[in-house]
Order: sequence, then structure tokens, then C-alpha cells
Amino acid sequence: MTAIVETRDLTRRYGSNLALDHLNLTIPEGAIFGFIGPNGAGKTTTMRILTTLLAPSAGEARVAGVSVVSDPRTVRRLVGFMPDFFGVYDNMKSWEYLDFFGRAYGIPAQRRQQLIGELLELVDLGHKRDDLVMSLSRGMKQRLSLARAMMHDPQLLILDEPASGLDPRARIELRELLKELRALGKTIMISSHILTELAEMCTHIGIIERGKLLAAGEVQQILRSMRPHRIVEIRIVSGAAHAEAMLRTHPDVLELRREGARDTKENESEPLDDATGPHTLLADFAGDEHALSELLAALVTAGVRISHFAEQSGDLEDIFLHVTTGIV
Amino acid sequence: MPELNPILIRDLRSRMRGARAYILLTIYLTILAGVSLLLYVAIAGSVGSDLNAGREIGRALFFTIATVALIEVCLITPVLTSGSIAGEKERQTYDLLIASLLTPWQIVWGKLASALAFALLLILAVVPVMSLAFLFGGVGLTEVLIAIVGLVATAILYAAIGLFWSALMQSSLGATSFAIGTVIVILLGIPFLIVIVTLILEPSALSRLLESLWFIYISRLFISLHPFIALGTTASQLSSGESPFFEVVRTGTANVVVLSPWLLYAILSLIATVILVASSVRHIHPVQPESARRRRARSQDRQDVLGERVSKR
Repeated sequence: MTAIVETRDLTRRYGSNLALDHLNLTIPEGAIFGFIGPNGAGKTTTMRILTTLLAPSAGEARVAGVSVVSDPRTVRRLVGFMPDFFGVYDNMKSWEYLDFFGRAYGIPAQRRQQLIGELLELVDLGHKRDDLVMSLSRGMKQRLSLARAMMHDPQLLILDEPASGLDPRARIELRELLKELRALGKTIMISSHILTELAEMCTHIGIIERGKLLAAGEVQQILRSMRPHRIVEIRIVSGAAHAEAMLRTHPDVLELRREGARDTKENESEPLDDATGPHTLLADFAGDEHALSELLAALVTAGVRISHFAEQSGDLEDIFLHVTTGIV
Repeated sequence: MPELNPILIRDLRSRMRGARAYILLTIYLTILAGVSLLLYVAIAGSVGSDLNAGREIGRALFFTIATVALIEVCLITPVLTSGSIAGEKERQTYDLLIASLLTPWQIVWGKLASALAFALLLILAVVPVMSLAFLFGGVGLTEVLIAIVGLVATAILYAAIGLFWSALMQSSLGATSFAIGTVIVILLGIPFLIVIVTLILEPSALSRLLESLWFIYISRLFISLHPFIALGTTASQLSSGESPFFEVVRTGTANVVVLSPWLLYAILSLIATVILVASSVRHIHPVQPESARRRRARSQDRQDVLGERVSKR
């Protein structure tokens, strides 16, 4: 895959404050790239440089091979930008809002009219065509803003915190919309602090802190590299005490916890009693798929009755906390 | 056919939508008509009924209406533009404009043209009221044309003043304050300086100065910075039978020819407008000044912290 965004030693200073510190970022074409970092980490600065709103202090940034510094006009054609706020014009209808930006991007009148209809349908606002923008709900405004960013058919969509301030339904709608856009072949760069959301929709992520890129790449790859062992969740209906003893002595089990236990001391205090109901154990397992299946077979053979045996899916939040230090 | 400036269309659409524009126009014309009526009643009683009475009423009506219209243009046009670009910054639509394919010149021109279109509407609306004066006579076409040129030049210059502050400031309140401040400095500062200079200088020094060629040029240039003084001087020169385009100043040694104040005023306004528009374009730069960006980032952070506190509750 070719890279649509490429930055090399991208640096940006605000006075003595270093907002971006030699950032080397690559976003492949067609990806949904989640840009994660605490507030003030440099996400917005990076996005503003890529949208030509801010000049880098040093280094280079290219969109589809075009430098943002030497040819900003071409970059603006390639990039659709949705900032973390929604700019409202008084006394303006939804279609006029899109029409205005269509004109601003030099789209011919006939094509513009057709495009406005298509985009309003895409973001599910066809019925709000003649409503004043001010009267739309926050989620609707966000979707209208996305339609605006799409007006000139950009290759790359840069969305800064698009989900902030949205209610759960609006968030889900936005997520579905982004999937549709990806299917249309757009590359999407999205920043968010809602990590679970990013994990669900992103193909690639980059973690940034204090202007430095800590990790970047495909989501699954990062999850694997950040956590070499897997956590297996086992729910035991009977034979819990025996199962616990077996797991503790198993060479591939690095750590064993009882779910809900506050600390390990409590874990080891007394054997599990089947009468107190099904118990759930969490095992940090270092072995591969085969070793895991053998463990399950061994437990079943030993007469332990298991109702649930599954690997916990990797959590971006854990990775994020693991990688970042929390200092901004 | 090339399309019109997008900003011009957008601004006109939102300006003319709703009742605001019509209310403003109605108030503006009501003031003009009210003043004309009061003036007519006052003068009609005092001039008696000789042959020149009609002419006197006509002239008084014309000059009063022109003056009131000029005052309104001086106050309304800078306000129309001062909110334009700063308003985009406040509504946070400025970045969207900058990130689009619009050039800074297109943005400035669109804003200026939309304000001028409205100002021109106000000026055109005055013409029927002004034409009342023709019923009485005493006013020539030259005077009317000069008055309209004066109004238009003032509208353009004062709109450019508002636009300049709008491009410079971050809030429309700040931009409007500075724009009105600039208008006040021009309208009150120049007469104040004239009074001060005549008070400071001794009569003998003043009469020597009046003979000096430099003083003649500089003083004409100075009074031509002020729309009311420039147009008022022209009116009195016209009524004393001088040419509408130039004035001959007789000193002890020679006759000095200078441009008529209204013409000088129009030229100076044009030059000032070009300078103001050019500096507005220069201020609309895709890359924001660092200080402004940092200020906004800080206020954004404060909002974030506040938002988190609220959400924790």
C-alpha cells in the first residue's frame, strides 16, 4: 500500500514549548487511522499542519506525495478537514451550507446541486435539506460537517475528535458513516480519546504523547507486540479448587487471578468452594493455540466442568496506559 | 459565466434573510424623513413668502438630508464589516474558509462587497428623500452628484476601516470597538486639531502661514481627510460660484490652484482604502499567528477541564 500521509522529523514549536518533536508518521492509503494521545499531546497540531492551517517549524509533511509547505493549494484539494468544533453560520440552511463550501472549492453549479443531494442522503440528512443549520442537533451538525468535508471529494479525511460531545446513538451513527466512507475508498485520519471506539473502527493506530510518536501500525499488530501473552477467561461450574491448583502449576500460566478479587493475597487465602456458585478465573497465558487447547482438554479430562473458556480481546485502553506515561 | 464570489453570496443570503435588514433600513429612512419634516416645518415658518423662499427651503433640505445620510453611513458601514472576518473567527468557521480553496483576496473582497452592497442600498434609498429638495429648487445636479460621490467614497473607506480591524482582531466586539474608535478619531480628532492649531498660533503667525505655499497644500490635504469638512467646504465654494473641480487660492504674490476638497477627499479615500484592503489580505494568512493559536488552545484546555469536571459529576 502506498502512503497517503508521510511526515519526516515533523517539528512544531510554540515559543519555547515543543508541540511536535521529530514526528515520523506514515498512513497507508485506504486506512482508518486512529490518532490517540492525551490532551495537548500534539494530535491537533499534526492535523492542522496536514490541513495547511499551521506551518511546521521544521521537518516535512506530505499528503499523497505533495508537500504541505510548498504546495498547500494542492494539499487542500486532497484533504477534507473536520475540526473538533462545528462552525455555525446564522440564518443558513443545510443545503446552503454545503453549497457555500462547494463554491469555495470551485465545484461547478450543476455538479454542486447533484452532490448536495447525494451527500445529504449519505449522512442521512436528506429530510433536513431546508432546515436552518442552527436548528440541527449536535449529531446532525457533526454529520453535516462531515458532508461538508466530503464536498470536494478529497482522498484523505482528517477528523479531529469527531465523537466528542455526541450521545451514544449519534456516535454509533458516526461510526457506521465512517465505515461507509472507507468503503468508498477514502483514507480517514481520526483522533479521539474514546479508545474503545477507535479500537472498533480503526485499521491502524498511532499513539502520541508530548509530541512524540510512541507506537504506530496496524491495530492487531500493535496489540500483539504490546502484549506478548494472552488473558484467558475460564468460568467453572464445578471443580474450581482443582482447576485452580492445576492452573497454578501449569508452566504456561504466568499469573492467575480470581475475577472480582481485590488482590492476590485474597486469592490464595482459601480454596474455591463450588457451592458459592460458578467462579471465573483469569489466566495470563504465554503459550500458543495448541498449548491452549491442550490446557482445556486437560481441565475437562480432570473432571472440571467449564461453561466458558475464551481469550479476552486485547484492549486499546490497556495498551494506551502501558505505552504512555500520562505526562503531557 | 464565472460564478460570483461565494462569500458575497453567502453573506447577502444571511444578511437579507429575516427582518433585521428591513428594520435597519426602516429606522434609517425614518430618521431621515423625520429630520426632513421637522426641518421643513421650522424653515417654512421663518423664510416668509418671497421669491427665494423655495430655493432656501430646497437647499436647507438637501444639505440636511445629505449630512444625516453621511452621519449614518459613517456609523453603519464600519459596523457592517467589523464583524465580518472576526465573526468567522468567533464562530470558528475561519479555519474552514482558510482550509478551502478560497484565496485571502477572495475572502476580503467577498466581505467588503457584501457590506458595500448593503451600504449602497442605504445610499440609494436616500435618493428619493433627497429629490424632495428638487421640488423647491435651489439645488443643482453638480451638488447632488458630488454628494453621492462623497457618500459612496465614505461608505467604501469606512467599510475598509471596519474590515481592517476585523482581519486584525480575534473578536467582533474588539473589532467593532476599534473601528468605531477610528471613526471617532477621524471625525472628532481632525476638527479638534484645527481648533487647537488656530488657538496656539498667534494671529500674525497665522496670516504669514496663510501666505505660505506649503501651508496651503497641507491644510487643504488635512481638511480633505474629513468627509463633513471636505464636502461642506465644497458646498460653500459651489455656492460662491467656484469651479466644482478646483479652487484658486490667492496669496499676496501668486494664485495657487488646488483640487476641490471633495475631489481630494475621494482620491485620499481611494488610496486609504487600497492600503487598508491590502493589509487586511495580508492578515488573512493561512498560518495563524502563534500567540492567537496558543490563546485559543489554552481556552480550549480550560473548557476541556471544565467539561471533564461536569461529566464526572
